[in-house]
Amino acid sequence: MLMPPFELHHPVSVEEAVALASDLLQRGEAFDWVAGGTDVLPNYKWRINTKPHVISLAKVVEAHDMTSTSIGCTVTIERLVSSPDAHPLLAEAGAKIASSLIRRTATVGGNLCLDTRCFWYNQSEDWRRSIDWCHKADCGTGADCRVIPNQNTLCVATYQGDLAPNLMALEAKVVLVGPQGQRTIPLVEFYELDGMKKNTLAEGEFLLRVELPEDASQRVGSYQKLRVRESWDFPEAGVAASWIPGDVGSLRIATTALESIPRTHVEEVEAHLGGNGNKVDVKALAVSIQKSVKPVNNTALPPAYRRKMVRVLTKRALSALGDLG
Amino acid sequence: MGTYRQQPGSSSGGQRRDGKRVAGKQVFPPPGSGGSHPTMRPRDLNFIPETVGGNEPKPAGDHIHDRDRTGTTVGKPTALVDSNAKVTGQAWYGDDVRLPGELIGKILRSPHHYARIKSIDTSRVEALPGVIAVATGEDAPNRFGVLPVTKDEHAMAVEKVRHVGDLVACVAAVDEATAIQALSLFDIEWEELEPVFDPKKGLEDVDEPIHWRGKYHLARTNVQKRVFQEFGDRSLVSSPTASSHGSWTMNGVHHGFTEPHAVVAHWDPNGRLQLYTPQQVPHYTHRALSTVLDVPMHQINVVRTFVGGGFGGKSDPFPHEMCAAILARRSGRPVRITFDREEVYWINRGRHPSHIDVKMTADDDGRISGFDIDALIDGGGFASFGHVTSYYNGVLATAPYELGSFHYTGARVWTNKPASGAMRGHGAVNTRCAVEVGLDEMAEQLAVDPIDLRLANLLPPHSRTISGFRITSNGMREALEKVREGSNWDEKFRQLPLGKGIGIGCGFFISGSGLPIHWDPKNFPHATVHIQVDMDGGVTVHTGAADIGQGSTTAVAQVVAEVLALPIEMIHVRSHESDTSPVDLGSYSSRVTFMNANAAIRAAIGIRDQLLKAAWEMLGYHPNVLVLNDRRIYYKHDPAIGVSYLQALHKAQEDTGALIARGAYRSPPMGGVHKGAAAGLAPAYSFSAYVAEVDVDVETGRVSCTNVWAAHDCGKALNPLAVAGQIIGSCHMGLGQVISEKMVYGRTGHLQNANLLEYKIPSVHEMPHVEPIIVESSDPEGPFGAKEAGEGPLLPILPAVVNAVYDAVGVRLRDLPLTPDIVFKGIEKHMKRLKIDDPEDLPCPRLEHGPLQPTLVERSNEHRIRDQRRQRSEDTSAYVNGVLFGFDPNVPLADQVEGWREADEPLPDQLAELGFAGRAWLKKEQRHMGGES
Repeated sequence: MLMPPFELHHPVSVEEAVALASDLLQRGEAFDWVAGGTDVLPNYKWRINTKPHVISLAKVVEAHDMTSTSIGCTVTIERLVSSPDAHPLLAEAGAKIASSLIRRTATVGGNLCLDTRCFWYNQSEDWRRSIDWCHKADCGTGADCRVIPNQNTLCVATYQGDLAPNLMALEAKVVLVGPQGQRTIPLVEFYELDGMKKNTLAEGEFLLRVELPEDASQRVGSYQKLRVRESWDFPEAGVAASWIPGDVGSLRIATTALESIPRTHVEEVEAHLGGNGNKVDVKALAVSIQKSVKPVNNTALPPAYRRKMVRVLTKRALSALGDLG
Repeated sequence: MGTYRQQPGSSSGGQRRDGKRVAGKQVFPPPGSGGSHPTMRPRDLNFIPETVGGNEPKPAGDHIHDRDRTGTTVGKPTALVDSNAKVTGQAWYGDDVRLPGELIGKILRSPHHYARIKSIDTSRVEALPGVIAVATGEDAPNRFGVLPVTKDEHAMAVEKVRHVGDLVACVAAVDEATAIQALSLFDIEWEELEPVFDPKKGLEDVDEPIHWRGKYHLARTNVQKRVFQEFGDRSLVSSPTASSHGSWTMNGVHHGFTEPHAVVAHWDPNGRLQLYTPQQVPHYTHRALSTVLDVPMHQINVVRTFVGGGFGGKSDPFPHEMCAAILARRSGRPVRITFDREEVYWINRGRHPSHIDVKMTADDDGRISGFDIDALIDGGGFASFGHVTSYYNGVLATAPYELGSFHYTGARVWTNKPASGAMRGHGAVNTRCAVEVGLDEMAEQLAVDPIDLRLANLLPPHSRTISGFRITSNGMREALEKVREGSNWDEKFRQLPLGKGIGIGCGFFISGSGLPIHWDPKNFPHATVHIQVDMDGGVTVHTGAADIGQGSTTAVAQVVAEVLALPIEMIHVRSHESDTSPVDLGSYSSRVTFMNANAAIRAAIGIRDQLLKAAWEMLGYHPNVLVLNDRRIYYKHDPAIGVSYLQALHKAQEDTGALIARGAYRSPPMGGVHKGAAAGLAPAYSFSAYVAEVDVDVETGRVSCTNVWAAHDCGKALNPLAVAGQIIGSCHMGLGQVISEKMVYGRTGHLQNANLLEYKIPSVHEMPHVEPIIVESSDPEGPFGAKEAGEGPLLPILPAVVNAVYDAVGVRLRDLPLTPDIVFKGIEKHMKRLKIDDPEDLPCPRLEHGPLQPTLVERSNEHRIRDQRRQRSEDTSAYVNGVLFGFDPNVPLADQVEGWREADEPLPDQLAELGFAGRAWLKKEQRHMGGES
């Protein structure tokens, strides 16, 4: 399959990357960032929202740095899985991503910035023409959403990254760099509930690295992924949970692949901590998390089933954490 | 004569360390163990049948080819002869063909499900620099199709497009980017028509049927083919002791071969078309090209490239092959077209999405009194192999069991989807699954072991099925017994804890279509092989057999090597070009090894006879007492008297030049006279039995198959390595259909998963441990006793898994594939019925043998003896389906039983009670409608 032509830029430092981005912005030229390319390139081959410029982060030296509390955006998933520095929960989740071949190319930053997915959208140009396009890639036609017709405001494509809920459960922050400078925000604030916009990256900004709090290493976690095959498949539902053993107040649960964004479930967790002394009502908590998510019909398995499985996955994730009381 | 007499030496000493002989001091091995040459391998008696003096056991008795065995290669695990080319990346597949000056062809595809093309303006396309040729449907008005009775395809749409992705036009340009750009410059006016997606709607009259068959069209429906078959005594089913009624929904599945379709066309300077294509059936492409291009067949050379997997998906002549030829003719340059994966799904030809309704009954003796099958199959936009599929869905269920009656109604309808066609296990897979699961259910009602129920109802070797198929060798019983033993069935079935299950399934498949599609018995045989041996001793074999990875080239090389007692490296098979290979009907219906190897044996015997005659002249011993072994021919009782293969060869070609021989295979006349009697006829049938073990996650519904014991009766494993490979590969492919693969058509009728991420072929993690068990029943007509092993082994895995899931969780599921959501839904319903909240509390099915169990065991013990006697031809009496029900095989059944019927059309009083597909019989053909339409 032939990609449409684009100009590929290879900055070697963060400054050069930002300067390139600023320059393109000023010239009014659209561009995409690429790291491993396992998400961007298939989309380009399918001619989905392609841009005339692509800036590669592959040669940006700082982006490859990795310590136990800081992970550069171009660290590959494979490195995350095999590095002694990586948190065991991230290694567990990383090992469940795609296939071993893809993990050698795919990156942490790319996984966090993964484009949202939908079976009306992740299709070739010919295919999308046959449905008269969709909201997310309308090719200038103003087409409606094909999942939920007649709403035409929000794209409901599903975020299917595996790392995000796990990093959320570890209370990670992300460092974003762009023409307006550098900022650090909690990962939970990174995503924006719109399958099209996806996240809060400003124009020209990119995700440089992920930072974990110092106490993350004390956390024990589990990631439960629902998929049809044990390889290749994106999650159909994913539940990550972690806590500092013995401290139920530290319990964090996050889900993915159920909506346009991954998210944490602070309210549900809090609601099931109190009242009962220091104990977690696992069963009730699992049910309340199930009730809080609203998957739509745009992935391989039906949404009603995925929703029901959230309860099972939550239960399993929590039971892997040890004695929650 | 004395010249060739080699002096025997003393039995001790005189040997040189380097293996060379000392004159007059040669040690000779005992007679029969080899010739005199020190590098010669002794005769491998373990691979020479006991019937001709070797050690290879022949429990089924002697075989006509036993005396042609030399112990060289048959029966030994043999690496495929083309494997070096493949593992070194040097095999040339469709897209590897690069001719100088090539253009890239691209196809414009329909964005509409169903639409009339009002006009196509190509002027903007032609004006684009770099575009060399453009073609549309008007340029190729001649119709083609794989079956002569249903030619309903064009190179590109003429008048109408019939599904999203249907071919509309094509361009050839200097590079791919230009060709892609050109596709956006066609100006087309469409008139959209009302599409049909639901096959059930295909039975209704519509304004604009997808195809129009004139006076043969069935009212104004979209029914392409309807079938009615009824055999036996229907009164037997009226008061059954056990019965099973299952309504199945089977999704369409695709072959998922690795190599996408690719074709290169080139008109050479003499105006002959050279077409390179990865085809399973080059001969039909050859015919179709001739029809579409209006060029005689002798002006076309079809070159089959290496085929990167076919499984039935590369056995139709394809419109893109026509497009490449048309563009190449127009541009005067070679044109290459390679598909994207999505285009592969749009051309499809995968297994039909099917609604299958199966009612089965058993009587109080545990005999199967009736099968009643109704199959509505979704053909998509074109006929393809569908005419045959419509029959196969019924008739291939008529064995291996003896039936009291058989009733089948089938209909294939056109819908506005990519065309379904032939896929590994063609037409037999879905019904087989339904039937085997039904047997499991009836066994439960009868409180008997499902394996014993099967063993007590098998047709014996050398018998006739209820529909008139001639069964010859039959290893069904042995297959069942071996998997029962191998899997430790008796200790596991209905005894495993919740979430773990074990299940059984059987299979039955044709080994070569007895009446192939384009076969003209007056003009050519099923298969022909030419052999040429020149002075260098190398053996060149010309065959049209299309090796699609199944190893047919290796099989042909093996049998030639076996007959001539030559190392397989000396056999060179040439099978790629229609210019040089004899006509072959292609790689489908599991016919290749059976028919081509038979033809190759005959051709090799032709060469052997010439060599033996020369050796006779040189040695003075009649060929009857000469032995071939490892490049030598010698006197049976004194191996010192002999000639080398080359000496004999040179003598034989003294006056004639290179030795030439040919051999052919033709199947004997078979079958009944009713309409459709030819469907499913084969010179031999394969049998298989699998036991599968599964784990079911009761909370998520996820099924994983952990172990499979897979016994397949292939007659004689010419190459056990290849047979085991076919069994394991079949397990993988069948497992895909039963646990994860489906072509998903969304609410708008679009194929939602035309890619390998969302079309979920099992990964290595889903693959169970498979233990292949080869059963050898020695088929009297097969080459060295062999039968097929390429398709039949796929059948049993589906029902084995479905039955194992029932054993694990007590839920009978009849929607394939068993994706986690389907299984979960089944479990949820089951829990509701049982008023259980926690799936961990589900009861497991258990079995307490009922009074019928010992009766069945006794009967199967008797039948085992009966079968052995028949297999060894100690009992050659007639056996037809019905003997188990007390009928005399020597008197026509209709004369014995009042209700016995053999029918291909429903009786008027049956019309009201036909199954869903059977309702197609309520419609009349246009020619019988007398103006009302």
